[in-house]
Amino acid sequence: MSMQTTDATATMRATGKPAKKKSSGRLMILGFLSPTLLILIFMVAYPIFSLVFYSFHNFSALRPNAGMTPAGFDNYSYLLSDPDLWQRFVFTGKFVFLCVTLQMIIGIFVGYQLQKSFRGRDVIFTLLMMPMMLSPVVVGFLWRYMLNSEWGIVNYMLTLVGVGKVDWLGQTDAALWAAAAADTWMWTPFIILLATAAFRGIPETIYEAAEVDGASQAYVFFRITLPMSAPVLFIALILRLIDSFKQYDLFFALTGGGPGSSTETVSFAVAKTAFNYFYTGEASALAVILLCIIIGLSLILVRHLMKLGERY
Amino acid sequence: MAKIELKDLSISFGAFTAVDKVNLTVNDGEFVVYLGPSGCGKTTTLRSIAGLVDATNGDILFDGERVNDLKPSERNIAMVFQFVSLYPHLKVRENIVFPLKARGIPSSEIKRKLDWVTEVFGLGDELKRYPAALPPGAKQKVSLARAVIRDPAVLLLDEPLSAIDEQFREEMRWELGHLQRELGVTTIYVTHDQREAMSLADRIVLMNNSKIVQVAEPDRIFHKPDNIFAGQFIGSPSMNLIDLVPAPGGLRLGDSAIVLPEAAIPADVASSSQKLRLGVRPRDIRLVNEDAAGSFPVEVEDIYSVGRERYFLFRIGDNEYQGVDHRVDQGTGESRIAFEKDGLIFFNAETGERVSAMEKAA
Amino acid sequence: MTKAQTDSVQKLTQWFLIALLAVYTFYNLGPIFWLIISSLKSRADLFAMPPVWFFEPDLSGYQQVFGVGAAAESASAFGVLDSLISSVVVSTVGTALAVILGTMGGYVCSRFNFTGKNDFLFFVLSTRMLPPVAVLVFYHLMFARLGLADTRTGLVLVAVFANVGLATWIMKGFFDGVPKEIEQIALVSGYTRLYAFFRLVLPMVKGGIAATAGFCFIFAWNEFAFASILTTTKAKTLPVKISAASGATGIEWTQICAAGVVLIIPVLVFFYLIRKHLLMGMTFGVLGRR
Repeated sequence: MSMQTTDATATMRATGKPAKKKSSGRLMILGFLSPTLLILIFMVAYPIFSLVFYSFHNFSALRPNAGMTPAGFDNYSYLLSDPDLWQRFVFTGKFVFLCVTLQMIIGIFVGYQLQKSFRGRDVIFTLLMMPMMLSPVVVGFLWRYMLNSEWGIVNYMLTLVGVGKVDWLGQTDAALWAAAAADTWMWTPFIILLATAAFRGIPETIYEAAEVDGASQAYVFFRITLPMSAPVLFIALILRLIDSFKQYDLFFALTGGGPGSSTETVSFAVAKTAFNYFYTGEASALAVILLCIIIGLSLILVRHLMKLGERY
Repeated sequence: MAKIELKDLSISFGAFTAVDKVNLTVNDGEFVVYLGPSGCGKTTTLRSIAGLVDATNGDILFDGERVNDLKPSERNIAMVFQFVSLYPHLKVRENIVFPLKARGIPSSEIKRKLDWVTEVFGLGDELKRYPAALPPGAKQKVSLARAVIRDPAVLLLDEPLSAIDEQFREEMRWELGHLQRELGVTTIYVTHDQREAMSLADRIVLMNNSKIVQVAEPDRIFHKPDNIFAGQFIGSPSMNLIDLVPAPGGLRLGDSAIVLPEAAIPADVASSSQKLRLGVRPRDIRLVNEDAAGSFPVEVEDIYSVGRERYFLFRIGDNEYQGVDHRVDQGTGESRIAFEKDGLIFFNAETGERVSAMEKAA
Repeated sequence: MTKAQTDSVQKLTQWFLIALLAVYTFYNLGPIFWLIISSLKSRADLFAMPPVWFFEPDLSGYQQVFGVGAAAESASAFGVLDSLISSVVVSTVGTALAVILGTMGGYVCSRFNFTGKNDFLFFVLSTRMLPPVAVLVFYHLMFARLGLADTRTGLVLVAVFANVGLATWIMKGFFDGVPKEIEQIALVSGYTRLYAFFRLVLPMVKGGIAATAGFCFIFAWNEFAFASILTTTKAKTLPVKISAASGATGIEWTQICAAGVVLIIPVLVFFYLIRKHLLMGMTFGVLGRR
């Protein structure tokens, strides 16, 4: 093998370029991508087209034999004129904003501290990752248990420091903060992981050069560390933005959408319409609206990401 | 501008001593090159002068002031690293002015300095590019521009040319020497390439095994190496070493029958009673005709040409040695060679020191 | 400022940062600690106010989770074994397939330039963008029609679909870190690209594969939305089973906490084993090679 390698290098030097077979490359691309493409078509493209189709019909999955009657834009116009839906979008927006902001700030801060090497770092690092490894349902229940207004540990600790008990899950605003705290608890470790990886990817000499150049720690952080890891942090941001936008499991276990329906996210509303009321057509329309928003948002962000990556 | 003094400088990492009691004075405006094999402690010394590594013992003085406890940014130094350390997310212009901006220098001043280095380094179109778009040589040029833009008191260069193509390296070497003389900045340069050291240095600091072996001007270190290591490390191809054994009428070369006549041996060497070893550089060995004075027979085993020069491998007794000459009529087999008289360097075989008491005192 | 002053300012900042870190660590680990404590409490201790810190450990939660001991016969037994098997099968098979597809896709996207490459990369990531509830409406109907409803095969399919996007992106990042010369040398030596891929490149990204698998496993292991709607009895996974503990008699907190602890252990061990690779490679290749 080693002989072969030497020969190969020699040939490469002699001819100046490696032998390349175009057709084999194309075959490989096709062979390697087609299974994934099949799954994507079957599990993404097909459902989306069907969703769009259903969304223009009156149809209930409970009675598939009753057939579907064309409904035009009825589902959409009904949804868009429903003040409850707007309220859900506003709630979802608030939730997404709170979660992403908190998670990015805390995650970048802790990640920056953890990129430094110190004794026991690996163990602490692994321990801090635990919330991310729990099932969202468990997380929901755990926080519901801790936030119970009567016997929850959180209120107990609040009374210890002299703050009164808060009815966390019984009021809309408190419930929003409770949900954000739970989501942030669970997913900040994810940002920490990506941020630490990104920060550690910056070569030591860059920092040494900056030190010699006389840059203060804060200056280095904002002018070098952050911009150099921007692409990774941006991916983290995109993933969290999308995930919190479609958050469903957590609310299912934590608030059940309550009090009333005030903590129902758009996702929650889709599930309820589809599987509690079985208004499949209407649920499809709502899902299409949600999809458009998420995909539109992602397209903008991913395009920006590609631009970020091009520089280097 | 500054004078740098290292006093009994030692640096250890755990049980490993990277720099062992080094003493050195670098004069204001001097260009000093640290030369030595990898792992000899030269880069560690440089990094301790920069403040990136803490000295375990001893002092580092800039213009007589102890700087051990100062941070790199407070030492008024600039450094160029072996591997390109440009900030990849900043355009070349932003890279160059980074040290000024980091110190909050007013923008009019920054503009003036930028214009100056742009001209000195001939950077025009490059300013608007990102570093990734530049070839390695141009990148190091930018690193250099970033280093000198602040008028540092000391310029530290850690193998700055090693990542650059041979051809461009030559060009950069000329430019670097020129620039240093123009700026007059005290410069310490680390390299393992003796050609860089010989061509750039006012003085070479030769290091080996964490210690300084010799500090001298390039010419002197070449012609009067203090010891066997200095003699062998500098010069290419490497110096031949032949053990000498006392014999009637002179000194016998190794286990051969050839005797170096007394006439060829300096008086102070002849009078010493030490065990000796002879150092002779390949270019100080000539292929000669039968009748040449002081010549002796050897067996030439192999021979090849590099341009005008003929490299030949020959045998004295059981050992092989190398020589370089211009004669083209020479083939392998029986032949005669002679040593240039000035090219003979005598070492103490036990200590490795050069035997020449008078020289050393002077 | 004098040197002493800068020093003291720096020291203060340092302490402030450490304090912030401590607050975060408390926020992060406190609930985990509480989860473990609560999983060992008896019903009475669970609701005690003020909370009891010292108590006789009560393993009934764990007994119910595994359906052993006193809980073996009781009506509230979790009957978890089937769900455990479901979870293990779905997560491991799903993860394996997703990683294989992601590795293939990531390699091709890292090495070749072809029309529609960026579209493909966006398209695979869309598997992560789709809100489960949006496609669930359709999956629900489709699975019923194909006989995949309430089967482990169906859930494996979902696990592959849900993870292949992230797997492709992460693996592309790892492949970007392998020099192209590796294959070029093999190609000019007369080996095929397939040989170079399997024998030369794959061994170099072993760590990356482990990291990708770790991520996919976490997501597959914890997946709830799809599993809760696409299964009814036979193929129920653990998270779904846990949510069922909030049934008619109120929420079985001890069981939920015990199940949470049981669920996290395999992931935690796996994560600790692959932590180095996670830190080295989780940059999606967007930082380039420098």
